[in-house]
Amino acid sequence: MALKVYVDRMSQPSRAVLIFCKINGIDFEEIRVDILTNKQFSPEYKAINPMRQVPAIVDGRFKLFESHAILIYLCCAFPGVASHWYPGDLFKRSKIHSVLDWHHSNLRRGTVGLVFNTIIGPLNGLPSNAQAAKEGEKLLVRSLAKLEDFWLKDGRFLTGSLQPSIADISLVCEIMQLELLSEKDRDRILSPYKKVVQWIEDTKKATAPHFDEVHGILFKAQKKFRERVATESVKNEVKSKM
Amino acid sequence: MALKVYVDRMSQPSRAVLIFCKVNGIDYEEILVDISKHKHVAPEYKAINPMCQVPTVVVDGKFKLFESHAILIYICCAFPGVASHWYPSDPFQRSKIHSVLDWHHSNLRQSAGVLVWNTILAPRHGLPLKHPLVAEESEKLLVRSLSKLEDFWLKDGQFLVVSSQPSIADIRLVCEIMQLELLSEKDYDRILKPYKKVVQWIEDTRRATAPHFDEVHGILFKVQKRLRKRMATEPVNYNHLKSKL
Repeated sequence: MALKVYVDRMSQPSRAVLIFCKINGIDFEEIRVDILTNKQFSPEYKAINPMRQVPAIVDGRFKLFESHAILIYLCCAFPGVASHWYPGDLFKRSKIHSVLDWHHSNLRRGTVGLVFNTIIGPLNGLPSNAQAAKEGEKLLVRSLAKLEDFWLKDGRFLTGSLQPSIADISLVCEIMQLELLSEKDRDRILSPYKKVVQWIEDTKKATAPHFDEVHGILFKAQKKFRERVATESVKNEVKSKM
Repeated sequence: MALKVYVDRMSQPSRAVLIFCKVNGIDYEEILVDISKHKHVAPEYKAINPMCQVPTVVVDGKFKLFESHAILIYICCAFPGVASHWYPSDPFQRSKIHSVLDWHHSNLRQSAGVLVWNTILAPRHGLPLKHPLVAEESEKLLVRSLSKLEDFWLKDGQFLVVSSQPSIADIRLVCEIMQLELLSEKDYDRILKPYKKVVQWIEDTRRATAPHFDEVHGILFKVQKRLRKRMATEPVNYNHLKSKL
């Protein structure tokens, strides 16, 4: 029975798992759980993942959620996966665990806080929360600085590695969510961090063509959001002139 | 192997690493990084952990590692005397441990620790108490997390993953919940009592790691005693704060 992977491609951890499976030639069935239409709350999905989040996998009778746990499981369960994704060397492996753990409370929290409160929430009719967005951005900037000065100080990829690991896919997919911001904001936030920008490019290249293919829906959404924001600001400009 | 463990016993993940080392008879040197005196942001400590957090371990003076889950896993793999139930080699059980440890970051850790910090500990560090809405949101998330522990994570047995024996996940998550001991007795009981399995699991984990669990939590209970004495004369808990707005 093939591996089932429950995802929504708008979700950063979902994309990480998909790209990883594709780049490693893992045979799987992608099952869409549409967050926008609240499919994660359906009883059928609750039976797969009681936390009602994506991604989740089902391998035979084994169910697993939390993307880092999933990535590690796939590295261990599928012998064709090259060792650089999750090295057997205990020191290298520990550093990967360390950055994946750091990610939860730093890059992830900052990115989600900013993008949700400035773009996704307001465009879905939720009240915007400028304070939460500001705090999200502060944490994001601190996290990008730590990536630039520490996690990427010794090599092209995280923790000084010459080849990508599961940590690079996970964290780069998170940063890609910033593509939903305006071009101006995205550039303002990211461009000071040269190593980070290069690392995103290196990770994309190392997982081509799957990285771009899996991010297709994000770029479609980016186009739609940027058009809507442009229309809203024209309307507001007209209103203010009346 | 020379192991240095940089901790502050008021920190939940610090306690988890200490208890784990002691229960497994691991030889190590405990070095206090006093958060209340801002020692975690001193240049000497920043050289050890640039994130300026505890715990951190340094192995043989060279290998530095931070993030408590990564540390616990490293110790399980590096020290052959550690019994396998702490971090089973079975890939399914091991994955479940990774899963609950990851879930922990954004749920129990984000709620229990944040609630206690924002309502009780921040003033101890000279910081103002945060708005009661922050405490309210933390408590909501805490209650959701406790429900998930009660109804899902503890549904198959005494412990989180290996149902009859504790793993690193049990030590870690129970140490997080212990931070709630800093709340008033009334708030602590109000929040925890509905969750019978969770209360039993805390007790089971404590017993499985005795006497080290209580010894490592000694300082927390000293602080609790002081705080509750003060609360008795000047109520500090956030429910009283709400009524002042």
